[in-house]
Amino acid sequence: MASLCKVMRNVSSRSSLLQKHCVCITHRSLYSSDASGGDDKSPERAKGGFAAAYELHSDLQQRGDQSAARRMSSRDETSFASLLRHSALMQMGPAKEKVVIGKIFHIVNDDLYIDFGGKFHCVCKRPPTDGQKYQRGSRVRLRLEDMELTSRFLGATIDTTLLEADATLMGLIESKDTKTKE
Amino acid sequence: MAAGVLPRVRQVLRSPRLVSAVFSCHGQTFSSAAAAPDTAATEKILNFPLTQPDYFHLSELFTIKDLFEARVHLGHKKGCRHRLMEPYLFGSRLDTDIIDLEQTAEHLQRALNFTAHVAYRGGIILFVSRRRQFGHLIETTARECGEYAHTRYWKGGLLTNASIQYSPGVRLPDLILFFSTLNNVFQQHVGIRDAAKMNIPTMGIVDSNCNPSLITYPVPGNDDTPVAMEMYCRLFKMTINRAKDKRRQMELLKGISASV
Repeated sequence: MASLCKVMRNVSSRSSLLQKHCVCITHRSLYSSDASGGDDKSPERAKGGFAAAYELHSDLQQRGDQSAARRMSSRDETSFASLLRHSALMQMGPAKEKVVIGKIFHIVNDDLYIDFGGKFHCVCKRPPTDGQKYQRGSRVRLRLEDMELTSRFLGATIDTTLLEADATLMGLIESKDTKTKE
Repeated sequence: MAAGVLPRVRQVLRSPRLVSAVFSCHGQTFSSAAAAPDTAATEKILNFPLTQPDYFHLSELFTIKDLFEARVHLGHKKGCRHRLMEPYLFGSRLDTDIIDLEQTAEHLQRALNFTAHVAYRGGIILFVSRRRQFGHLIETTARECGEYAHTRYWKGGLLTNASIQYSPGVRLPDLILFFSTLNNVFQQHVGIRDAAKMNIPTMGIVDSNCNPSLITYPVPGNDDTPVAMEMYCRLFKMTINRAKDKRRQMELLKGISASV
């Protein structure tokens, strides 16, 4: 019994390496009175938008690497279902109010055509502040509203699509080059 | 619109390219002009590739991961879906259809294989698309592989009335590749129906709002994103060039002058 207690203490001291919930379960099974703190496995999920999606995606990838790297065969990693499951588009969820980074690929006078990695591009007006900084190849921050603008009109059998996404331009991405110059 | 029309189709058949009887018999009356292969060597050049499942090793040209990164799996919204595309869809995520890339890979492999065989046997291939965004890309792709493109307004009797609109005895394409099967008002491109009428095999990139029925080799995939279109153009160009190079190589090996 004493040896068991020693083992459990060692285990609890190294709990940062093992998964927390495993340790808690073993605790509960051996010492029913011992109720360790709730294993709150949900870290900072309060962040919204692309930042959260990116972090979640890289978190998942790390956990996947540690626990399932040996189990997963090379075929599973490249199957379409697994590629889709771990893609940023799936992790993002609904497109409403999500912040993404896009790249301007075409400009017509004041209209900027921006590609952010979805099926369609979005078209935004050149903002009045820092207008000349928006050139082809600039990276910008966008707040997505919809991935594809579609609507079913009265009397139609199929939706009418505009072949465009809907997003609001938030601003330029300040790259390291511009920072060091200033 | 004469500018966009096939430049070399109006050939009088003095020196016919070998037209494969296996693939299609055209409604035109050039059965007398199609020369039957004389020597056993020429026959071997033509028939041996047909016995192999992947003679041109086209499976090494793309992987599912490449298709995924080119955003080929993204479809339109659920409301735009065509009923006949449902078997090709993996599912629908938050109202957006996702195309099953495992099926797309098989269909694309078949389409590329067929294109390679047609190019190997000296067939005429026509690239068609009515998307203005990719018109230039498709025209340059066609030029780079020595084939033809038609990305402008499709005149009514282009295929069905060719002997009157051009000259009698004009040679029609042996394969038509549709990089987008819809025209600008979201109706099916007239060329699909006309090619079916003229017994010309077609390949079409069908998105989730397209009708795949009349197309011989449909390839379910995204036809709206530039990355995806560039990928398709690159794949077809590589296939056609590979097949033509192989043919030239075989002809040189056998020591016969290429029958033009």
